Amino acid sequence: MVPDNSEAFQPKIVAFLCKWCSSAGSDLAGVSRMQYASNAVPITVNCSGGVSPLYIISAFSKGADGVLVSGCHPGDCHYMEGNYQARRKIYLLQKLVTFMGVEPERFQMSWVSAAEGAKYAKVMDEFTEQIRRLGPQTKLKARR
Amino acid sequence: MISIDDIRAKAKDLLDSGAVKAVIGYGRGTAGYMARPVFLSRPEEAEELTWDPSCVHNLALYLTEGGKCQSSKNLAENGPVAIFAKGCDSRGLVVLLQENYLRRQDIHVIGLSCEDGGVLDEYKLATALDGRTALHVTFADHGDFRVTTRDGEVRVKAQEVLADRCLECRTAHPVIHDTLFGEAQPRAFKDPFHALTAFEAEAKANGTLWAFWEKTMERCIRCYACRSVCPMCYCDECVVDSIQMAVAPDTTPEEKANRIKWIERSNTNADTFGYHLVRAMHLAGRCVDCGECERVCPVNIPLRLLNTKLEKEALDMFDYRVGFDADKPSLVSSFNDRDPNDFIR
Repeated sequence: MVPDNSEAFQPKIVAFLCKWCSSAGSDLAGVSRMQYASNAVPITVNCSGGVSPLYIISAFSKGADGVLVSGCHPGDCHYMEGNYQARRKIYLLQKLVTFMGVEPERFQMSWVSAAEGAKYAKVMDEFTEQIRRLGPQTKLKARR
Repeated sequence: MISIDDIRAKAKDLLDSGAVKAVIGYGRGTAGYMARPVFLSRPEEAEELTWDPSCVHNLALYLTEGGKCQSSKNLAENGPVAIFAKGCDSRGLVVLLQENYLRRQDIHVIGLSCEDGGVLDEYKLATALDGRTALHVTFADHGDFRVTTRDGEVRVKAQEVLADRCLECRTAHPVIHDTLFGEAQPRAFKDPFHALTAFEAEAKANGTLWAFWEKTMERCIRCYACRSVCPMCYCDECVVDSIQMAVAPDTTPEEKANRIKWIERSNTNADTFGYHLVRAMHLAGRCVDCGECERVCPVNIPLRLLNTKLEKEALDMFDYRVGFDADKPSLVSSFNDRDPNDFIR
């Protein structure tokens, strides 16, 4: 969904995309000329399992309103078990961040395969819309 | 009840026979009633050893301290070391073994069971004594403490002065040991995760989670005492200080400015949150709840809440108990088909 109102709050979103699946999925969404929210800054990583909690905390501190980590469906990891490890780590981080009072919606994970261009577009639209409703992220953002 | 003479005799024997090169244990402090860590290398020094409710320290720290990457090599070269370990400390040793930080043959674990007691909390003791100065604290029967003050001896109920973690502890008996003192005894003070559950229920009901943490973290002076005292924080270079980024005479300001700093040194709230989130995440599945970080915090940040939160999640969702099996893969390097998946789109 493209925001109809250009005055609407445009959230800054950082998306960590797995090189083997989600990144190709976003590519597919692009070459299929799908229209979706363009708020995300995609960062291709070799594996969702390599996304350190530090990257996510750092993204929030540098002003991201939302962070999305996207990897391969369970069982599809190029490195056999990277996405399973990511799932544990990110589950724990999400619980911890929530425990400190940050909205859990700001930080999500998705499984998007290289064939799911449409799902990528849908995830992006929904995520952007959720963050837009939450408003700017000020809690973990460094005031410099 | 554990007799200190037995412990001293054992330590003396170990040093005498050359079975260990050194003993890391507790000794009488030089000021006040609190014990201090002592490092013995001669048999006659064994008389310095002590065991009382003020032996709060997690001595596993001293196996990882001082040239942290060197210490396992040092241990291998300089012979086995005997180390005192309470229940929680022994689980800390198990985690270090699990991470292949130590070799089992390089340590001789002198297990000390807390039995039906535990270690004390200095603040609680001060409150219980109501202005009197404690000179010496010893175990009495029924897990109570006998406190020698300037105005004579007082007996205090353990429940009043035990550290919070000890009230919630169910594993006061060492998990691994080569020599064991004391017996496993049933304990029932408070439910495990009591403090966490109470805090979470109240803060969630009032919606004050963020307000609480924002106010709490504002106090943090980033002294990193919590990091220094933690036996699990043994990285050669911590993410918060970039010690290995050498500054040469020809390093330009641009180069310095463009270096990646994940977390800035300033103690603004965002960076403080970054530090504490990273610290807690790094301890996920590794923290044995020895409570040292909270004890040494000069501004009383309730760090145990963060640690136990992740400990509870690991137990509830991944059925992972920290520090019981050195052969098990660690929490974040393992997975299960039953891991939660419904939070993912």
